[in-house]
Amino acid sequence: MRSKVDFPNINDRRPDGQKEDGSAFRVLVVDDSMFITKQITQYLTSEGFEILGTAVDGEEAVEKYKELAPRVDLVTMDITMPKLDGVAALEKILEFDKDARVVMISALGKQDLVKKALLLGAKNYIVKPLDREKVLERIRSSLK
Amino acid sequence: MRVEYINPFVESAFNVLKEVLDADISRGELYLKATSMPVLGVAAIIGLTGDVEGRVLLDMSMQTAIMIASTMNAEEFESFDALGKATIAELANMITGQAVTKLHDLGFHFDLSPPSLITGDNMVVTDSGVEALIVPLQLPQGKLEINVAVRERS
Repeated sequence: MRSKVDFPNINDRRPDGQKEDGSAFRVLVVDDSMFITKQITQYLTSEGFEILGTAVDGEEAVEKYKELAPRVDLVTMDITMPKLDGVAALEKILEFDKDARVVMISALGKQDLVKKALLLGAKNYIVKPLDREKVLERIRSSLK
Repeated sequence: MRVEYINPFVESAFNVLKEVLDADISRGELYLKATSMPVLGVAAIIGLTGDVEGRVLLDMSMQTAIMIASTMNAEEFESFDALGKATIAELANMITGQAVTKLHDLGFHFDLSPPSLITGDNMVVTDSGVEALIVPLQLPQGKLEINVAVRERS
């Protein structure tokens, strides 16, 4: 039998959620829907990401980001939320840390807000219903 | 009520449900109700206000709601718990979100309220001054009705 060194094994692929040094990318998940938070958490943890925290509205998102910085590698940010919406929370997070990586999560029909968020400095956006591959692909490209 | 208001909701319900449930869905005959009508055990209601005003109601039996939430979460739910409710509310959000995009493209502009979820037995909905159009959809999990009552703002 030949040594497995000769055959690159696809199972040796580094999971999306791991950095080159093998540590996990750390994510703050912001959504007022428990269902969406759970879905994103499942997709990300299955690829080796670490969920550093969650928030249910924009105000809590900004507080959590400040509290957890600089350990947050990425934020997933819902747009429609109580208290402070996702676009306003994005602005506040970028004021605090201009290098923050934020990916917007949006329902269809919010194109204007998505555009505004991207102009403000969001790295990418994902439209609901969420699809595992789509979520991972957008997050992967935001971390480059 | 004009039929063009309900079509976008039916189309997006069809598309969203097909995607999140990964199943075949069939559409029943559209019907109109001018008076009060019974509501199945679980109803998600979203208000519309703008060029058109009224409400959209997605209703289904408790059993169907539990089965849809189970499929969407890939786990068996035995009761309609907080996660199940969040799942059905999000489903209503996704369906109306897509429908609104279609209606905006047709030139109708309005805002949506966040979904409210109402559960119980023997419920009846009454809309004053506007009749409701209903389209039943048949899913593997049971029947879901799209019930739209809107009018143009006078």
